[in-house]
Amino acid sequence: MPAREGIYSMSQVQSVAEHEMAELIVTSLNLEGVDPASIEPEAPLFGTGLGLDSIDALELALEISKRYGVQLRSDDEDNRQIFASLRSLATYVHTHRPA
Amino acid sequence: MSTCLEVRVSGVGFWAPRLPDWQTACAVLAGRAEPEAVARSRPAPALLAPTERRRAPDTVSIALEAASRACEAAGVDPVSLPSVFACTHGDGAINDYLCGTLASNPLLCSPTRFHNSVHNAAAGYWTIGTGCVKPSTALTAGSETFAAGLLEAIVQALADETPVLYVAYDAAMPGPVGEVSPSAGMIASALVVEPLKGDGPGVRPAGVGRCLRARVAPGAQAMPEASVSPGSIPHAWFAALPANSMRQCLPLLAFLASDAEGRMQMQLNQGCVLEVDIEEVTTHG
Repeated sequence: MPAREGIYSMSQVQSVAEHEMAELIVTSLNLEGVDPASIEPEAPLFGTGLGLDSIDALELALEISKRYGVQLRSDDEDNRQIFASLRSLATYVHTHRPA
Repeated sequence: MSTCLEVRVSGVGFWAPRLPDWQTACAVLAGRAEPEAVARSRPAPALLAPTERRRAPDTVSIALEAASRACEAAGVDPVSLPSVFACTHGDGAINDYLCGTLASNPLLCSPTRFHNSVHNAAAGYWTIGTGCVKPSTALTAGSETFAAGLLEAIVQALADETPVLYVAYDAAMPGPVGEVSPSAGMIASALVVEPLKGDGPGVRPAGVGRCLRARVAPGAQAMPEASVSPGSIPHAWFAALPANSMRQCLPLLAFLASDAEGRMQMQLNQGCVLEVDIEEVTTHG
């Protein structure tokens, strides 16, 4: 298990929030053989990197809605940025969680 | 008198949790082996890319396993084969999930499961995995699904003068629908059928190189499962298979596995049966 830093981090080590998001990604997308701790925080989630696609984005949005109550809309202009990496996704979710 | 439709069975594939391939099924049928003691979980569909593989539900996994093995046995490239996929219920687990979610919170419906819910999901994964662009058909006909799919595959093979892959499979039916339309466990079978050519009898793997002469005939009663099969079938063969809707395929497969010749009937729809003579392939002309 990597050393954890604070909720948000600029390092290559997963924060607590990022690790939680990594576990959600692996579980909800059935990523066989992928260790959540191995997902690099700033690596691309889609295309290269984990190789996720648009159906995965929809599935992730659904799981995030159920888990965190954060709605990720398919027509959001910022989706490319929000879903860019584990770090960007975790940051977006944790700054938009209902109080 | 209806037309007699003649095809050769050039490959067979089979998968069930305790009879995980056709060779095992044949050996158990012949009394040479026992079914596997421990039921296997679903096979991993090796022909799929990782993205499709992790999304494929049980129905797709077992259908693709049987289909792949049948093509191997026939020695044909899946890319060249039109296909017919027959499944009584479609994916009951997904339908149960969708119904429950739509009833409780329709906005939380999984897009992955939704896109896997269509009846031609297995046909779609198969054509994606193999790169096949030949026609594919997905059908159901309730308790007559296997016979209807077999007739469709035979007609396509003869009409288009091409080998055709026929895949028949069912998984379990959970939830309220399963109470009125039950199915347990998993069974998948697959045949490659091709127009009869001048093949002679000879040494061949079990079930390969048999001729099916099929016709649609008036009739209301198909023979029950256990009585249509030739000779003495070990109890273990039927007992090793779950109470699954695709037990419909077992009588024909028992014929193919046992090397016996004979005639069987399968209910096709109200008032009709599919009558099939199973024979050795003989040289024509």
